Amino acid sequence: MSERSIDVDLTRTSSGQVVKERIYKWLLFGCAALTVFVTASIIVTLAADALTFFSMVSPVEFFTGTEWFVRGDGGTYGVWPLVTATLIITVVSAIVSVPTGVAAAVYLSEYASDRMRSVLKPALEVLAGIPTVVYGYLALVYLTPALQWVGIPVSTFNLLSASIMVGIMIIPMVSSLSEDAMSSVPDSLRQAGYGMGATKYEVSTGIVIPAAVSGIFSSFILALSRAIGETMIVVMAAGLRPRMFNFANPLDNLLSSGQPMTAGMVNAVTSDATGGSATYLSMFALGLTLFTITFAMNLASDYVAARYQEEYQ
Amino acid sequence: MATNQGTGEWYGTDEAVSRVRGQAFKTLCLGATLLALLAVFVLLLYVANDAFRPLSADIGWLLSFAATVVLPVLAAVGYYYTRDTKAGETATIALGLPVICLLLAGGVFITFEHIVSVYQWLSILVSLGIAAAIVAAHNRVRADADLERFAVIVGVPALLLWYVPDVILSLPVLPTQSLALLGSFAVPIALATGWFVRRQRESDRDGAIAAAVTIVGAAAGLGVAPVVGLSPFVWMLLVTITGVPVGLYVESVFRRGAGVSGLAFPVLVGGGILMGVVITNALGFTGPNPWLDWGFLTSSPSRTPEDAGFYPPLVGSVMMLLVIVVSAFPVGVGAAIYLEEYAPKRGLLGRVVDLIEVNIGNLAGVPSVVYGVLGLALFIRWGGLGSGTALVGGFTIGLLILPIVIISSQEAIRAVPDSMRQASYGMGATKWQTTRNVVLPEALPGIMTGNILAMGRAIGETAPLLIIGAPAVVRIAPASFTNKFSAMPRQIYTWSSEIDVAFRHGVLAAGVVTLLVVLLLMNGAAIIIRNKYQRRD
Repeated sequence: MSERSIDVDLTRTSSGQVVKERIYKWLLFGCAALTVFVTASIIVTLAADALTFFSMVSPVEFFTGTEWFVRGDGGTYGVWPLVTATLIITVVSAIVSVPTGVAAAVYLSEYASDRMRSVLKPALEVLAGIPTVVYGYLALVYLTPALQWVGIPVSTFNLLSASIMVGIMIIPMVSSLSEDAMSSVPDSLRQAGYGMGATKYEVSTGIVIPAAVSGIFSSFILALSRAIGETMIVVMAAGLRPRMFNFANPLDNLLSSGQPMTAGMVNAVTSDATGGSATYLSMFALGLTLFTITFAMNLASDYVAARYQEEYQ
Repeated sequence: MATNQGTGEWYGTDEAVSRVRGQAFKTLCLGATLLALLAVFVLLLYVANDAFRPLSADIGWLLSFAATVVLPVLAAVGYYYTRDTKAGETATIALGLPVICLLLAGGVFITFEHIVSVYQWLSILVSLGIAAAIVAAHNRVRADADLERFAVIVGVPALLLWYVPDVILSLPVLPTQSLALLGSFAVPIALATGWFVRRQRESDRDGAIAAAVTIVGAAAGLGVAPVVGLSPFVWMLLVTITGVPVGLYVESVFRRGAGVSGLAFPVLVGGGILMGVVITNALGFTGPNPWLDWGFLTSSPSRTPEDAGFYPPLVGSVMMLLVIVVSAFPVGVGAAIYLEEYAPKRGLLGRVVDLIEVNIGNLAGVPSVVYGVLGLALFIRWGGLGSGTALVGGFTIGLLILPIVIISSQEAIRAVPDSMRQASYGMGATKWQTTRNVVLPEALPGIMTGNILAMGRAIGETAPLLIIGAPAVVRIAPASFTNKFSAMPRQIYTWSSEIDVAFRHGVLAAGVVTLLVVLLLMNGAAIIIRNKYQRRD
């Protein structure tokens, strides 16, 4: 390029050049616009087939039913057993991941020496990069027997071990996003705290965490949306038998198997590979519900981060 | 907010400053961090134990390897850590680079073995060569016709790729496979090496030497390889893909003269292993009987755990990655270029761009299983592609990683200093010329780092593969992109439903370790690229 431009004729018309520039610009714009097409087609494809499903099964039955039972050719489609299983997974994984993740973030952002941080941060990144199928395998083959060995009477497939694993999986997400929020709290605030005679503990809990609270909350929302959409861990470790929430004995729900919504989708598509039946189409209705929930949570996370952010100059 | 709220009830008002409380809080936070890490690492140790079964070996075997490998390595690590950190960095790369290159060589081997035959590759290369010649000739003859050249650049290669390969493949006389590979693979790599060295050193002589050494090294395989017991094909792959980068690295370490003692580390490891093998053979110790061995990597899945292998899923994963590399990466990088270089800040289009940015952020949070449903609806039900094929798998997971590719490429492009763009504009370059000649070369290491990490994400995705109908077991490696395929995580999921203990604690562990090692090496490659090209200002 550089050698050629030496003898270039500067007087020639540049109309070809202009058109070429424009073609490149719109080509690149097409690439960027493709992402909007992806979102649009997710909504259209999910909605189209979900509508077909709702013409076979009434929405009232779907959204209020308490029994989910599918065969290749038909069944009962009440979404609540799947929703409650998803809720259990989300709540338990939040109990595991939120305190641990925030504590890890406080340590990394406030206490860790540079050397410690240079070891811990990449290690957490490695954790975040492990495929979920591996986490599912760890839950099924190692965690469940370990729980049984400790004396918790869990069945081979159970929600407890799946949701603990989901919690462990999202710890790096909570900790790295929260740490970003805490590191962006300006140092002058900390210095002011120390100047008032506060200890490091008081500065961390009294100044840094409140100042970063919007970022911390948005990290919770993102992480929980990840937990809701998590598939492989629950398919492998929670089992494929949908079970309505047992109000009489709430603890029993954790110890026995259950089928969250994502697992329900996998089960629907694998039990009828030919397509067309209500079971197969129920996957799209579940997918649409799931997509709506997670998309709304992601938007909420953006909103919380932006709306409640403290502005410092 | 917090500071103006609690003026009346400040912390130390009615109690003494507590050192214990501060210490306890710090310990609690550290404990939480370590708990998260240790929980997974301990479980992974269990997996590694199941996969390699070190305890099934003789105690003498373990002791001799501890003496020849573990002790020297620990001593060396201690030395590098305390005395010579610079050499420690060299040691890490010097050990990691060959391993990463071997992984890459394995991927290329699988590509030539199952996906494009050597002759197909040769014919593609010849047609591209002819196309380049036509474009160059057009450039010379009609230097003013910019638009026409644009059409020529797009049209001629497409036309030639459509017709010429068949003509070449139907020629009555073709060179032998080794010669074809030498010409179509070793020669281009040698030329690229020469070009790279020439640019780095700004010396024609050094570039020519590097190219010549590469060619000679590869060609030596025709004579030497059978003697060592390798096929010339494997020899050439090893020389070009592993030998060349390692050679360049070693040479650069010697030239810079810093941390040269780190180069001893891989020699120490390799020598230790060799010595361990010699000693255990001489003393007759039997080694462990691991589940993860060469047979596991090269045979097909089976009902009996002892014969079960991982080869077809490995091939499937490579095919899927190839589809992703040619489909999702160009689109993602193109989108990033538009958003960083071209996108207007205000006006109607500016608002559209804002929408696109928000949308990309949210797409990154959509569950992977939903992408599976999208792929099923878009490519299989509407597009008419066969269910469970490598093409559909690659496209679907390509869509999934598209937001990640875009976001990381955007960061890399944003890091290019604006002064470089201004300098280019000042020389009279157009926007596209600036992007192509200044911004992209500068941002390339960052873009590659992000793309390799995205590939790591892609290789572990399972749920979309279940939804698009990738079969549970594939016994013969898929021969084309339109055959049914299985990928590594899909096979792991299949094995997880076996009840047999030998599957659960043996074959499955071996598969998981293979997947994790591949991932770890890819992350390692990304880190090496990032550290090497990180802006030092």
